[in-house]
Amino acid sequence: MKTRTTFLLLLSLFVAGGAFAQKFITKTGYIRFYSEAPLEKIEANNHVVNSALDLSTGGFVFKVLMKSFEFQKALMQEHFNENYVESDKFPNATFAGTLTNFKEINVGKEGVYEANAEGKLTIHGVTRDIKVKGTFEARQGKLIGKAKFNLTVADFNITIPGNVINNIAKTVEVTVELTMDKAGM
Amino acid sequence: MKTWMKIVLGLAAVGLLAAFLVYTFLFNKKHPDYEKLPAAYSLTARELYDAFVKSPEAASSKYTGKVIEVRGILGKTETADSTVIAVFVFHQGDFGDEGVRCSMLPKYSQEAQRLQPDGEVRFKGYCTGFTGDVVLEKCSIILQ
Repeated sequence: MKTRTTFLLLLSLFVAGGAFAQKFITKTGYIRFYSEAPLEKIEANNHVVNSALDLSTGGFVFKVLMKSFEFQKALMQEHFNENYVESDKFPNATFAGTLTNFKEINVGKEGVYEANAEGKLTIHGVTRDIKVKGTFEARQGKLIGKAKFNLTVADFNITIPGNVINNIAKTVEVTVELTMDKAGM
Repeated sequence: MKTWMKIVLGLAAVGLLAAFLVYTFLFNKKHPDYEKLPAAYSLTARELYDAFVKSPEAASSKYTGKVIEVRGILGKTETADSTVIAVFVFHQGDFGDEGVRCSMLPKYSQEAQRLQPDGEVRFKGYCTGFTGDVVLEKCSIILQ
């Protein structure tokens, strides 16, 4: 409930931002989970990630549908949803935070800018503070965001059964790619 | 060959066959063919959207993870990378159009791109949840 409140509070910053706020959105963001373990490499891709960024406040939010992660192996996708992330109980992962250096990003001047995001990441009903470094490229009025970071599965109370633990690494590499358009375009 | 050896070899062969079948059918299990699966629910896109807006948790319990058939007036189509997304638009939010978004299966991409806005359409897809839009994936076109 506390996490949902934080997420909604940050979302409300976008509403209160007003007509001249520089809001950028995407509904087709991409997130990849990748793990490499002794027995297997596992990769899951999600192409329908929602994200919104307000460059007037730095407010930065993500909403990720867990059932939209696609695995090559159907059985692994089943286990991911039913046993690991329990997506029936926890259908979304969210990030609610800020781009701390938002003032340095000039959409009107094309180029690649460093992007430092901090905030609360919630997966499987567990919320953790995270800091992520990435980049935003300003190109033709759009913002193209990229980041790569690691997450420890156990930090989110995700338990991997003993019989498959050698198939799945304890640390998962997360890749994020967003092409964000100005809201209202 | 002694009888007990024949029994052991027979059991070993059965065990190997069972392991092979488990490997083939379980570990190599194919993803569902959402185009062929029957829809658990058939309703208008408006009804589906309103259900999630009114009560996200109740609608999620009912529709998320299910194959849904939706019909209604097409708002627009979008393309993201090589995926065509057909959108039923019901609300203008702070983040743009909101409604029901259907990501088409690749075999329906070209057909979906030819769909005209304001035309009656019917799609079937797998509901993955609600982000402010109801999201259906692996969508097929049933009626143009």
